[in-house]
Amino acid sequence: MSDVLLLARRAVREVWRLPDGTVPTLFLPLFFLAVNVGQISRSFPSRTPFLHGQGYVGFQLPVSIMLGVCTATTGFALVNDIERGYLDKLLLSPVRRSAIIYGRLAADLVRGVASSSVVLAFAVLVFGVRVRSGVGGAVVLVALAALWGMASAGLAMIVALRTRSVQATSASFLLFFPLLFMAPTYVPFDRLTPLMEPIARANPVSYVIEGLRSLVLEGWVPSKLAACAAVILATGLVLIALSVRAIEAYDR
Amino acid sequence: MIATPIQTRQGTARAESDIGGAAIEARGLRRTFADGVEAVRGIDLSVAHGEIFGFLGPNGAGKTTTVRMLCTLLAPSGGRARVAGADIARRPERVRERIGVALQEIGLDPLQSARELLELQCGLYGMDRAGARGRSAELLELVGLLDAAERRTGTFSGGMKRRLDLATALVHAPRVLFLDEPTTGLDPASRLTIWEEVRRINAQGTTVFLTTQYLEEADRLCGRVAIVDGGEIVASGAPHDLKAALEPEVARPTLDDVFLRVTGRRLEGVGVEEGERS
Repeated sequence: MSDVLLLARRAVREVWRLPDGTVPTLFLPLFFLAVNVGQISRSFPSRTPFLHGQGYVGFQLPVSIMLGVCTATTGFALVNDIERGYLDKLLLSPVRRSAIIYGRLAADLVRGVASSSVVLAFAVLVFGVRVRSGVGGAVVLVALAALWGMASAGLAMIVALRTRSVQATSASFLLFFPLLFMAPTYVPFDRLTPLMEPIARANPVSYVIEGLRSLVLEGWVPSKLAACAAVILATGLVLIALSVRAIEAYDR
Repeated sequence: MIATPIQTRQGTARAESDIGGAAIEARGLRRTFADGVEAVRGIDLSVAHGEIFGFLGPNGAGKTTTVRMLCTLLAPSGGRARVAGADIARRPERVRERIGVALQEIGLDPLQSARELLELQCGLYGMDRAGARGRSAELLELVGLLDAAERRTGTFSGGMKRRLDLATALVHAPRVLFLDEPTTGLDPASRLTIWEEVRRINAQGTTVFLTTQYLEEADRLCGRVAIVDGGEIVASGAPHDLKAALEPEVARPTLDDVFLRVTGRRLEGVGVEEGERS
């Protein structure tokens, strides 16, 4: 455990010392939030039933938050460590290889909290969004989003360890794009086309969006939060386990 | 024709199989990569405790691959080896606890300061915070970087990085120190500093396994060398003996002459200057 903490401290320090790795990832969610709301909000006034009395920005906020936390930054950091030879230095120490993965995930958690807090604050301060579940709900929203960022970071780490390539690691981030948009991104499930609805319902990312969205629009909805937490947990378990397997197999 | 003591790969294996309790012992070590390249083709070697052993050869000879296998970074495709008393395949974690490694590619994190990096490294070897702080300061002083302790390593010169890398390999006072081309790319002054450091570390009882393509480096530092070419050891012995075996055919022979004799070609671009031959 102490190995994980030591490596986590290093990874978190890197987040602050390399703002270039975090700041650009904020552009996309803030841009999407502003543009989507600017283009669509008049079509869905606050009296629209699925908005529960809020503006359309409240509906879009969780999607933007997820755009901010799903990054390949940790994968890039691993590729950098490989290219600089620092990963070899860590692999030569007597720590378990899995500790290197867990330490990196700590940075994702910190980055996820920072990123989702900024997007949430932007939505509250600029667009006047009110989180229906209150301050506690806002904290849970940020925590769940950060945990999702941590869980999904496993994908970039797997690609980084398997390919050792910045380009491939960068492309791994794009895999989340279709998942994020083949979901109730702009309208709820029941407003999707007959073709899109079953796809969205089968897409686990939909339930993360729905869970986060429920905190903003509806308050505390245990069934949606449970589904959201379950998807995050399952994604995390699978991707992190595969990341650990990838580092165990590295140069073997 | 060269008489003894230049030993062939097979001869070396026979001679060295009798050495017991060596710091490093390898038998038939092989590595074939996924693309079919046989980088190491059956290395047999034995390094005694307290030796400075040179692994000499041109680029692509298999030196780094051999070191990476002995350090447990790379799994062998065949053969076996024991380093610091532990089997590299069965007890890699035990090997890692007992060895220090400075690879050819300097492994530093440019965003951390020298002190932070050393303290992290100490922590990874199980030292508590106070112990890590003390050991880091000691090592920074040892490699002459105490004044640069708080600077991020990304701002260091090549020589400073190499010295810090060496310090990170020493945090746990390893029994065996692997140095993979430790002076490649360094200016002459930095190279001399590293040599002095290697001698000092060895004088304290640490076995040093050093790969190099610099003949002068092998000649000056190593008690014994193995010359490797094409993934195989083609000759081994004390530098003095290897050279002496060429006399009187060759006047004032060098390790380059030895390399020429056993491989039929010279070590490209790394020949010893005339003035340095004696």
